Amino acid sequence: MGKGGKSDGSNVEEENMAAWLVAINTLKIQPFNLPPLGPHDVKVRMKAVGICGSDVHYLKTLRCADFIVKEPMVIGHECAGVIEEVGSEVKDLVAGDRVALEPGISCWRCTHCKQGRYNLCPDMKFFATPPVHGSLANQVVHPADLCFKLPDNVSLEEGAMCEPLSVGVHACRRADIGPETNVLVMGAGPIGLVTMLAARAFGAPRIVIVDVEDSRLSVAKELAADEIIKVSTNIQDVDEEVGLIQKAMGGGVDVSFDCAGFNKTMTTALTATRPGGKVCLVGMGHHEMTVPLTPAAAREVDVVGIFRYKNTWPLCLEFLRSGKIDVKPLITHRFGFSQKEVEEAFETSARGGNAIKVMFNL
Amino acid sequence: MMHTEENEQVEETNMAAWLLGIKNLQIQPYHLPPLGPNDVKVQIKALGICGSDVHHFKNMRVANFIVKKPMVIGHECAGIIKAIGSNVKSLAVGDRVALEPGISCQTCNFCKNGTYNLCRKMKFFGSPPTNGSLANQVVHPANLVFKLPDNVSLEEGAMCEPLSVGVHACRRADVNPDTKVLIFGAGPIGLVTMLAARAFGAPRIVIADVDHYRLSIAKDLGADDTVQVSTNIQDVGEEVLKIHKVMGESVDISFDCVGFDKTMSTALTATRAGGKVCLVGLGQSQMTIPLVAAAAREVDVIGIFRYRNTWPLCIELLRTGKIDVKPLITHRYKFTQEDVDKAFETSAKGGNAIKVMFNL
Repeated sequence: MGKGGKSDGSNVEEENMAAWLVAINTLKIQPFNLPPLGPHDVKVRMKAVGICGSDVHYLKTLRCADFIVKEPMVIGHECAGVIEEVGSEVKDLVAGDRVALEPGISCWRCTHCKQGRYNLCPDMKFFATPPVHGSLANQVVHPADLCFKLPDNVSLEEGAMCEPLSVGVHACRRADIGPETNVLVMGAGPIGLVTMLAARAFGAPRIVIVDVEDSRLSVAKELAADEIIKVSTNIQDVDEEVGLIQKAMGGGVDVSFDCAGFNKTMTTALTATRPGGKVCLVGMGHHEMTVPLTPAAAREVDVVGIFRYKNTWPLCLEFLRSGKIDVKPLITHRFGFSQKEVEEAFETSARGGNAIKVMFNL
Repeated sequence: MMHTEENEQVEETNMAAWLLGIKNLQIQPYHLPPLGPNDVKVQIKALGICGSDVHHFKNMRVANFIVKKPMVIGHECAGIIKAIGSNVKSLAVGDRVALEPGISCQTCNFCKNGTYNLCRKMKFFGSPPTNGSLANQVVHPANLVFKLPDNVSLEEGAMCEPLSVGVHACRRADVNPDTKVLIFGAGPIGLVTMLAARAFGAPRIVIADVDHYRLSIAKDLGADDTVQVSTNIQDVGEEVLKIHKVMGESVDISFDCVGFDKTMSTALTATRAGGKVCLVGLGQSQMTIPLVAAAAREVDVIGIFRYRNTWPLCIELLRTGKIDVKPLITHRYKFTQEDVDKAFETSAKGGNAIKVMFNL
């Protein structure tokens, strides 16, 4: 029940519904009681929510790394919507504003937060990372400072895409992408693709992208990869593939993004990257890896880690507003917010293949 | 071979320690190239043995560098200038100098961008096929030869080379008064890294090793605390807890000066989110490590290859006494066939031998 939920003068008391993860492979649309609106909060009516690989992982296993779903939890975190109500201290937003939401609420008191690396805050409360409820719901309550107004020419779906795009933007910042960095992207799934789009926006002069699947590579080509290379899952093929990659790049690989995170991809990245270059590990395939780290370190190839993002929404929205980045082609499937469609949507996303971003329209 | 020295015309055959085969070093004549306009000729007076020299000695190779023909060994050196090329202005005969071993091409992108240690055409003393400097004399570019202050000895000059590895690592890892440092390995490299970290202002340094004796040396050399660890990968969890307890606070930067699965796994796990692990040691090629777990806490891995632009800083740190490398020199030998054999044996044994030094 949305407490005192006022929307534009009408007194309709609508029960707030959300998609709850109640057991393995079991999502149920059920009521979701929102907390009261704090002075610095806003209440947002959700309009667009994308499904992330981590949402699918929670659905299938009830866990992701050390985060375990111990009680029913609302799923979803890539979202945008319309403000329905603002808290008493909120000055910059009003009801009716279209906003994209940054999912994670950090503590703002620890050293990580105070140094600006709030993505590493140990007390982070993040949509759909247990035990914090997610945002695949009619409405959520969220701090106003984590809601970013969409420019007029940026749609709500694009607003929801800011979340995955943020991962790519954060990775490009940490890896220091610019007009001189030739970029290799391993993996042409949603994360590889947003990383590619971000790299281009940061000025990367040449981008080569690899994947095991033809359909994903052709999407990458359409999204303006300079070259696409089909690779295998076979570790014996590394040397041959490194040869192909370096040939396709022409001038040395300055930065590699491993957006898959497997032994094979990391080994290829470490081997293909030039001395003094960087390998940015974005994907989280295998917890432990067996890789030729020493030969890479002995060429001063550094490994840069990525965890989510920080301070990326304003830049993402600017890229979308100016058209420097177009995320719309990544949205391949759309579903409405009903029990049946929620189930179908997750099935589609889990299948992968030609499904890149599956989006809910609420 | 004729060469002129200051006021003398002594024809002396230049001798060097040549690596002829596995565990086979022979002192034999070494013909120097002519002195170019930008070169100096140096009479080598002090030379230290490095782990890589021992590795070449035992295996006739290190990684992809293979000794295919006889090669003079050695690269950590200092000496006295005997002759200067016609263009050399900043050095004079008689100057006491430390030598930076590697001659880079100075025209490739790596060189021009200042990362000359990564030059693909690097000619490095004692790295095949380039002859090393365990010899009476060598010819070397003047710009790679650095004058020693009066209070810095020739042995300390030779120590600039291993110390440079520690200095370069501390720069790349950005050691400073805010960074609490953990070092794996209390051998020569771990110890110079510790000394450099202190000089860079690290407020707290904890060093870990399997060897109790090496840890006590580290403590004498100024480690704030030490942790004895095992070679058993199962012990990582327990050791990380011990390390955190001993450090007292979080580990900002770890230096793995060993380079094995175990040390790297411990480093990646012990370092705080957003921190750095600097891989200095070249232990094993393939590693099985919790890399994703670390990357997902934004723990970055920084690679180290030799050094660049470190001699001036090393010399200054020695001059002011901010760093004292003298305790690291544990064994000394002369330049005779018998002593060369003994010296390499001693260095290879490890144990209580930290730096084995030749005095020529």
